[in-house]
Amino acid sequence: MLRWKYSRPLLGLLILITAIGPAIHLGFLAEPGMQQTLAVAFLYGALALTYDLLFGFTGLLSFGHAVFFASGMYLTAIFVNSAHMSLFPAAAIAIFITSLLATAVGAASLRTTGITFAMVTLAFGEAGHIIISRNFGNFTNGENGLALNADRVPSFFLGVANTRYLFWLALSVLAITYFAIWWVTQSSAGKVFQALRDNEVRASVLGLNPFVYKLLAFMIAGTLASIVGCAMLVISGSASPRFASAETTIALLLMVILGGAVTRWGAVIGGILYSLASTRLQDFSKIATQHHIPKVLSGPLSEPAFTLGLIFILIVMFAPGGLSGAYYRLRQSYFAKKSRKAETE
Amino acid sequence: MDTFVLISITGVGLGALYFLVASGLSLIYGLMGVLNFAHGTFLVVGAFVGLWMSTQVFHTNSTFAFIVSMIVGGIGAGIFALIMEQLLITRLYNRHIDQALVTVGVALVVGAVLGGWFTNDLRLLPTPPWFINTVTIGKAFIPVDRFLYILTALALLGIFVGILKFTRIGLIIRAGVENRTMVTALGINVKRAFSAVFFLGGFAAGVGGVLIAAYQGGVTPLMAGSWLIYGFIVVVIGGMGSIGGSAVAALLIGITKQFVNYYIPGLGDFVVVILLVAVLLVRPQGLFGKVSA
Amino acid sequence: MSVLSLKDVHVYIQGSHVLRGVTFEIPSNKVTALLGRNGVGKSTTLKAIMGLRQSTGEITLDGKSIHGKPTYQIVRTGIGYVPEDREIFSMLSVKDNLNIAVRDSEPNFDLVYSLFPELKTRTAQRAGTLSGGQQQMVAISRALLNRNQILLIDEPTKGLAPKLVTEVAESLARVAGESTMLLVEQNLALVKRVAEHILIMDQGKIIFQGEPSHLEDADFVHSMLGVGGRHN
Repeated sequence: MLRWKYSRPLLGLLILITAIGPAIHLGFLAEPGMQQTLAVAFLYGALALTYDLLFGFTGLLSFGHAVFFASGMYLTAIFVNSAHMSLFPAAAIAIFITSLLATAVGAASLRTTGITFAMVTLAFGEAGHIIISRNFGNFTNGENGLALNADRVPSFFLGVANTRYLFWLALSVLAITYFAIWWVTQSSAGKVFQALRDNEVRASVLGLNPFVYKLLAFMIAGTLASIVGCAMLVISGSASPRFASAETTIALLLMVILGGAVTRWGAVIGGILYSLASTRLQDFSKIATQHHIPKVLSGPLSEPAFTLGLIFILIVMFAPGGLSGAYYRLRQSYFAKKSRKAETE
Repeated sequence: MDTFVLISITGVGLGALYFLVASGLSLIYGLMGVLNFAHGTFLVVGAFVGLWMSTQVFHTNSTFAFIVSMIVGGIGAGIFALIMEQLLITRLYNRHIDQALVTVGVALVVGAVLGGWFTNDLRLLPTPPWFINTVTIGKAFIPVDRFLYILTALALLGIFVGILKFTRIGLIIRAGVENRTMVTALGINVKRAFSAVFFLGGFAAGVGGVLIAAYQGGVTPLMAGSWLIYGFIVVVIGGMGSIGGSAVAALLIGITKQFVNYYIPGLGDFVVVILLVAVLLVRPQGLFGKVSA
Repeated sequence: MSVLSLKDVHVYIQGSHVLRGVTFEIPSNKVTALLGRNGVGKSTTLKAIMGLRQSTGEITLDGKSIHGKPTYQIVRTGIGYVPEDREIFSMLSVKDNLNIAVRDSEPNFDLVYSLFPELKTRTAQRAGTLSGGQQQMVAISRALLNRNQILLIDEPTKGLAPKLVTEVAESLARVAGESTMLLVEQNLALVKRVAEHILIMDQGKIIFQGEPSHLEDADFVHSMLGVGGRHN
């Protein structure tokens, strides 16, 4: 079911971006603001992809995934700020600790299944969110968020003039995540994940221990999310409790559904579009006031959640499989037409 | 001792609010398998309808006006829930994940619409003057409004139990929570029970929304999120589909939260989620849930 | 005169072809037994009639098509269904289990209580705490309360102790005289006693229809149903 062709659309996009990369000093891409926006969008694309591994490939509906993302951010920031480490070793340790954390949380949560699993992960996620936002132990600076001490960040990541390096950082993290998940899902373990999703009983009859494989998926997804978290810390310059909230995990779910689960590039596109929409849809309000749209409409339109939520409902109701699903349907009908035409000729 | 009385009663008052949110959530999940992320939205819709009644229709903060606003808020939320069920949920019959996802979409859209119209600032809900009075029990001063929450929750518990025990639709709901397929195989159109459950759940959440607005001092679309999570926690601890379980779990959580917050301020939420994890790992079906999934 | 007829009914479950063109007619006022080895599609056939499994083909009850209708409407045209594994509501009282099944304005509680007097003394008991045999009585009673055109009964004696098998068989025999019934059953003694017509299924198809007297022939039973004809 998963073949090379499912990766082609994204690979095409990556090649395109790499090709226009040298042109980064040209046109709209030259604006640091745009580079920053795109960098954040790439990271959400990567994060959505890690969620796709859980939800799409393994069938685990977790509501606590964002915590591992936030854990990567906060641990890195804490090691840099308080332990006076430099960025890369701090990130490496943060990622390692998060992988242990994900294993522990996964081992506890995966004793349950289905909705109960969703609720246990929601509770773990909320616990993490509370720890961060209430500033237990004075590590996280509570609701205000924790700024990364710029003194220990390599200078090429700092300053408006260097935003293009943040762009490249985000793109590399997206590429690394993408190929990591490609490799995992193509591996024999990845096949087991999907077998478990489709029919756990049948898979366990084959002598496979579902728990071990699901835990592996949970751990890999959590670890990759923490890598994305480290990059997000560098790009946004600070960690914030909202990154750990259930709302963030729900946003990831929306991204995956929007782009379409289990195609990998679907989740990436979903994440990128969602992120761009969240930042750009706010401009609607300005346009709306300029064009004298009545307040009844302009108010909701100024909230990205309105448009995204509507699109989301429409996709769930009428276009299961999201954007990538629609793409494959179009392609299929195109080729079907073509082969019919060939037959008649 | 006085502190104990005070914290216990305010804990029960908080538990009453949790029950109002959780009871419908529990029935909807129990009967239909729908994890309703829009339940917090029902609550906010009820609170806004109540606010509109209270400020635009009554222009007074009399007890009568408040009670009527509360009931109208409940009906408004119930109708909203019914519309959502008819328009979206029934069309995704038996696609449980999609049904849950659609409710996420509804929560986003309605939250954005209300936020766009009314902003996310807290809007003051007029409450009767006696709300700020206290009564003395022993030597403890108990805020009077807590008793209203408790009485309302008891009344709704009574209504729910009455409907479930003594009406035909209640019988269908109880049977459907256990085995929906068999209910249809007895010649019953179970969709009517779905609508009833959505209306009742929306009604309870709407009433709860007005009371929560009184408790928090006002109405904001942001109420949806945090109270929804508590609703989930109560339902899961109590056992999906069990009204009695929700009542017990709501009390347990309300009281636990108040006590922990009194001794270690700010830790109440944390202890509650840890309690949830502990309960689920020991008894995945919740305290009063049936064993099978 | 047939009450229920199936024509070329196919059912797929998760990609496997479970019913492969089932065709038969159920004569009125008779008990028809549906026999076959485990897993040949007997229960699926009943579920397809009930609209509990998606199927293709034609299904008519009393001359009117019921195929593709929602289950509750199919049942309201006059079907009493006793599912495999009973599926009673274990959290509800016996009385509630019976009440929920009522469709007619004058449900026949007298018949039920005369067939199963023990239920009358246990109306307030939670059905989940009943014995297996009593649970089966509740399940059968639900189907007998209303006036039905046909009863679909799926393995009523499955998992019951021998003494209870006799009791359930007695009551089925009492009802049998006056109703149309499609009975899925593994217990050949019971089938011989109540059935007036038999259907045998194999691999998703009807392979034999005829008189129950064939079941007296050991070779026939062996070739149609396997060794001894008794399976579990």
